[in-house]
Formats: sequence, C-alpha cells, structure tokens
Amino acid sequence: MKIRTLRLLAKEGVSNVYKNKLMSTASIFTVIVTLFFLGIVLLLAVNITSNIEVMKRDLDITVFLNVDATDFEREEVTAYIESQKKDGIVSQYRIETKEEAFENIKKEIKNEALLKGLTAENMPMSYYIKLNNPADSDKVISDLSKFSGVNTEYGIGYNKDRLERLEGILKAFNYVLVTLLVVLSTVAIFLISNTIRLTVFARRREIEIMKYVGALDNFIRLPFIVEGLLIGFFGAVIAYLLTYQAYEWIQHVLNSILLNLGYTTLRLMEFYPVALRLFIIYSVFGVVIGAIGSLLSVRKHLNV
Amino acid sequence: MIKFVDATKVYSNGVVGLKNVTLTIEKGEFVFVIGASGAGKSTFLKLIMHEEAPTEGEVYVNGYSIHNMPRSEIPYLRRSLGVVFQDFRLLPNKTAYENVAFAMQMVEASPREIRRQIPLALGLVGLSKKAKAYPNQLSGGEQQRVVLARALVNNPSVLIADEPTGNLDPKTSMEIMNLFEEINQRGTTVIVATHEKDIVDKMKKRVIILEQGEVKSDEQKGHYINED
Repeated sequence: MKIRTLRLLAKEGVSNVYKNKLMSTASIFTVIVTLFFLGIVLLLAVNITSNIEVMKRDLDITVFLNVDATDFEREEVTAYIESQKKDGIVSQYRIETKEEAFENIKKEIKNEALLKGLTAENMPMSYYIKLNNPADSDKVISDLSKFSGVNTEYGIGYNKDRLERLEGILKAFNYVLVTLLVVLSTVAIFLISNTIRLTVFARRREIEIMKYVGALDNFIRLPFIVEGLLIGFFGAVIAYLLTYQAYEWIQHVLNSILLNLGYTTLRLMEFYPVALRLFIIYSVFGVVIGAIGSLLSVRKHLNV
Repeated sequence: MIKFVDATKVYSNGVVGLKNVTLTIEKGEFVFVIGASGAGKSTFLKLIMHEEAPTEGEVYVNGYSIHNMPRSEIPYLRRSLGVVFQDFRLLPNKTAYENVAFAMQMVEASPREIRRQIPLALGLVGLSKKAKAYPNQLSGGEQQRVVLARALVNNPSVLIADEPTGNLDPKTSMEIMNLFEEINQRGTTVIVATHEKDIVDKMKKRVIILEQGEVKSDEQKGHYINED
C-alpha cells in the first residue's frame, strides 16, 4: 500500500468518526463506561496490595533461638534488641521462654502420645518484637539473622498465621480482579463491535463500491480500523479524566474517614504515582478494543 | 474474452440460478442478456464478477478462472471489469468528480493520472460541466452517466450493466444506450442485462435469452421476443 493511499484511507476513517456523530458518540460512551469501571477496579487492586504490604510490615517480628543456644548467645540477642529499643526503633518486645513455649504447645497439642518424652528443654526460646516504624523491619531482620544463637531455619519473620491470612485475601482478590478484567473486556469488545457494526451496515454501500472497483480487502478495512482506534482513544482519554476526578474525590473522603476512625497507616494512595501507567493502560486498552471491534464488524461485509 | 463451459449455479437454498450454460463472448462484442425475473440474468452477471462461483462447470473471464479462484485475486479480476447498476450506487457525500476519483484512488492511481483521466471520462459521458455537483443535484440520467464514467475510468476491458436503464425514462435510456454503443466501438466488451424490449429491438445486437437458468436462444442481431 502506498503512503498516499494510506493517508487517503486514514483521512476517510477520521472523517467517518465526525460524519457518524451519533454512532461515534455511542461507541465512545461504551469505551468510557468500560474503562472507567476497569480503572476503578485496578486502582482498588493497587490500593489493597499496597495496604496489605503496610499491614505486613506492621506485624510482629518473631525470632526463634536454637534449642541449644547458650546463655551468652541469648544475652547477645537480648542486648541487641534492648539497644534497638533505646534507639527508638523497637517499640516493645516480649520473650517467650522455653517453659512458656512448652506450656503453649501442650495447650495446642492435646494428644498425650505426641508430647511423650518432650520437655521444656526441647523447646526453643523466642522473641516477639514490635517496631515503631514498619519500614525498619528489613534491617532489624537482617541484623538478627547474623547472631549465632538465632535459628535461621525456623526463620525470622512475621507472625505466620496473620501473614498467611493476609496473603490468602490477596490471592482471592487477584482471582476476582482477573475475572472482572476478562468480563469487562469481553463486554466492551462486544458492545463496540455492535456499535461499529451499525456504522458498517450504514456504509455497506461504500464497501460494495470499493469491492466493485477492485479495492483490496485491506483498503476496505483500514478506514474502519482507524475509526475504531480513534473512538477507542477518545473514550480512553475521557474515561481517564473521569477516573482521575472520581478517584481524587473518593481518596479525599475515604482518607478522612479512616483518619477519624484512628487508622494512621491504612489509607488510599495518591493518584500521581500511577497516573502515567494508568493513562498508558487506558490508551492501549481503548485502542485495542476499538480496533478489534471494528475488525469483527467489518469482516462480515467483506465477503461480497 | 468470457467463456462459460457447462456452468451451473445452485444456491445453498436449492434455487437453480443457472443450468448448464455454455457460451463465449468475444472481446469487443455487444451482448444483451434478457429474460424474465428469476431467469438467471443476475446469476449470469454475478458469475462474471465473481460475486458467486459456479457450483459446477467452468467460467473464464479475462484469463481468470472463476470456478477456481483464490480470494486474493478477486480485486484484480474486478479491475478488468466496469460495473453499472440500476440504482446507480454513487457515494452521496462526494461530488461527481470525487466519485470517479474514488475508483481511481482505490486502485492506487497517481494524482497526476487522476487529474488527467477524470476530465476525459466525464467528457466521454457528457458531464464535464457537472463535475462539482453532488449526486442529489443530478438527474437520474446524469447520475447514471457518473456511474458510467466511474466504471470506465480504470479502462476495463469489459463493461457490465445490470438493468442500467431501469430507473430512467425512455429518452434518457436511449441516450445511455448510445453511450454504451460508443464505448463498445472503442473496443470495450459490453454486456447489458435488461427488460426493455424497445431498446433491444432497436439496437440489433447479439441477444442471449435466458429461461429458468438455461440459454433459450442466442442470436446475432436478435430481438427481444424470438417466436420464429
């Protein structure tokens, strides 16, 4: 295809958007609605993920010592934690002695046979540490792992139960998110191809003439694809602006509610860090569903 | 040259469009195809344009085998044919000039060629003065002339017309037919499907009469009704 023809056909597509104002508006509206919902879902996902990260860091750090840790090794760890507390990094900590651990396990495991031969001496001693600033947790964990008395096999880390529960929530949410994305995209393509099908139907005469004068199939497709691309892009831009406005508002309202309820770490994130990425996602998604919609609807009329 | 060899077209709903048609139309001929509605005129033209393919037999048009043709070749077959319809089929939002130019742009003619060819084509059909008019500003006869200019502008070797005078008054019809004859005299094969007895009788050309999909008669200098 020559550049000249490409330009001519592209121009045809552009002017078609304008000429079929009603249909174009309807298609653009479809794109807006779809992308708007998609965007809200995406933003929700980003917020949930980031808040779970925050909550993770807010959890206790648990450190187990080796079962045969010496008194010196134990003192070393305690001294480190104490020093961190003095520096204002650790807010509070609790020691679980071997005896306490034994009592706890007896409460958990009711089966006498399993406990037979087990004494407090077989249990590890452990520390539960709370930090002032969750962001310090990585450093504290890496410091602790360097002590010879610390059992790195049990791992130093967050409270396992709560962590697993949070990750479970995150996983379930991801499934919901993927399902929503697939459903929304399918609905959008269907709606757009239906709308464009109407404009194609209105212009089947033009397609017919193009075929009779011997235009190649791609010549016939191109104006419609350009039309679909434009509709998708316009829709994306408008949807983006709407999402931005809506999010700013929701963020403002929800954050003040959360603050009033006393949550200082739990909050909706700012829009700006994701602004560019979201715009790219919107544009690509809008343009792709526009083009696919066009192609689907023009296909039927090509077989003259 | 157009050649039908025992060509049969049965539509998917069982209707027989054309049955065992064998005939040849030489280059430069002027042929009328007549017959009642449903006699097979449209199917005959559709096979030539590869709007349909024969279910049996062979059809050759300008060196292309219609019965066995890859989809990608269809546009090139159509470029060797000029088509005129009863209902004109002009683009309403383009002027006469632009409508004709559109046909040339679709086959990627250069702008210079387009500027040179269109005045010639519009001149040939006698519409030079109406180049800037839109279809709704033109009479039926004038619109059909634009269609004719569009059909001819890419220099097809065959001109196909399906009821070209169906929507025109007798005087205008005759004018259009005279144009066809003029075009034919320049060497273009002309195939006209029609209902109009007067025209066929007056023109004294080859007449192919179709009846229920079969060729009932095929005569040089024929008449509309051949009852011996």
